[in-house]
Amino acid sequence: MNTASLLSTRPVFVVGIGLHRYQRRSNETYVSLGLTAVREALNDAGLAWTDVNAAYTGTALLGMGASRIMLSKLGATGIPMTQVENASASGSSSVAQACLEVASGRSDVVLALGVDKPRGGLGAAPGEAGIANLEAGSVVPFTHFALLASEYMNLHAVSDEQVAKVAVKNHRNGARNPFAQRQKVRSLEEVLTEPISGSLTRLQCCPVGEGAAAVIIASEDGIERLGIDRSRVMQVVASATKTEGLYDEGVGIDAALTAETGAAAFEEAGLGPTDLDVVEVHDAFAIEELLYAEALGLCKPGEAAVRVESGDFDIGGSCAFSPSGGLLAMGHPIGPTGVGQIAEIVRQLRGEAGSRQQPNAKVGMAHMVGIGAVCVVHILRKP
Amino acid sequence: MTIEPRHPHLLKLADPPILVGHRCTRCGRVAFPPDPYGCEKCGSPASNFEKWDLQARGSVQAVATVHRHHRPTPSTPFTVGVIELLEGPVVKAIIDSDDVVIGSSVEGFLAPEEPDEAGNVIADLRFRVIR
Repeated sequence: MNTASLLSTRPVFVVGIGLHRYQRRSNETYVSLGLTAVREALNDAGLAWTDVNAAYTGTALLGMGASRIMLSKLGATGIPMTQVENASASGSSSVAQACLEVASGRSDVVLALGVDKPRGGLGAAPGEAGIANLEAGSVVPFTHFALLASEYMNLHAVSDEQVAKVAVKNHRNGARNPFAQRQKVRSLEEVLTEPISGSLTRLQCCPVGEGAAAVIIASEDGIERLGIDRSRVMQVVASATKTEGLYDEGVGIDAALTAETGAAAFEEAGLGPTDLDVVEVHDAFAIEELLYAEALGLCKPGEAAVRVESGDFDIGGSCAFSPSGGLLAMGHPIGPTGVGQIAEIVRQLRGEAGSRQQPNAKVGMAHMVGIGAVCVVHILRKP
Repeated sequence: MTIEPRHPHLLKLADPPILVGHRCTRCGRVAFPPDPYGCEKCGSPASNFEKWDLQARGSVQAVATVHRHHRPTPSTPFTVGVIELLEGPVVKAIIDSDDVVIGSSVEGFLAPEEPDEAGNVIADLRFRVIR
């Protein structure tokens, strides 16, 4: 099977985007969060709910059966609805499923939604697999990434301050994003306070709150039939998903998996790293942006910190990294995150990103990794 | 008072303790921790695994001192390391030496928790720098 031929045989486009601001846990129900995003996406596309043929809801924390009680409030049209869980990449996978459904010809207009509310813990299944280790619960995600930071900084002679500058940049971007959970410009000194684990400080770790993001995926036929404004639709030219393979002992799985998934996406799109104008990566922890910039081939191993310092990954640089603020500032409400990345890329490619617009953006990438480990990469371009 | 490792099947009590991994008799892959399911390299079921002793000695590849933790134990701050064992597998564990740095040689030891009301003590395998 070749997904490249599927997406190119019957092209798929993002025709509408909508978000509910990411925020700290509140009394607002997930239904209200989700409906806000979906209504905005429909409005953005100029579509009615009755135009939508199917829906995928990316969620990892809500529990079973989340979609229908929410989406039926737009009209109980009886369309197929499916929850998609892929850890932090749940939203990305709901987009992947929606693209696949449209590319297959089964549907012309499909909703990909991400919505979540935080619970006490993540409830991750690998901890229930019955494979005990020596860590005894001492290595939570931020420590996993603090250890990767330790290894990276030692290998490439990169300082704590250099890694922290990723967070300074992404908080600066988030300050210009009305949908971001954190909307404050932060100085390097502020970012370096409040240590959490290793060199990672509070502001170098993403907030896990609540929110929603929605995108509407459509075919050429759907765009034609429903009279959707073609000037604002962006084509999805690659949708790649991979899981962790068996790497050599000691190899960082997150970067190795990202390199493989990114390469698959580039191959599918017939594009390469130098084509990217804008990228949203899984920067749940500041070190990750450096690891993934290198794994995706945007710079050589060990170079990413210098590229961040030089402004190359700023809005206005050669490739804007996390113009939304990324997970670090926009936030990581889990289900919505991967869908929100697609919304940001579409906004950038349309030229509608206002004060955080990357000039002349034509090609963008969205990247998520999740516990498991899984990785999902999409590439979008201006048709 | 008895001292019991948290996961007895991962260890043989010795000084330093021996880590018990598995070796796939079909493809030869050695892994730690051991699992009861199957081989990630060749797909062979765990019935083809044999127990495989590994020295709890190695060198530190990465370290992080944890300042915030979601549980009362281990109490913060504590230091976690990535340790490449002499025989290849890489593990993560707590390192109980203030002077640990990348490249330090470390060995395992049993670190007992406070006894419970019945006087039983659970112990975790931690590592410390070899002087």
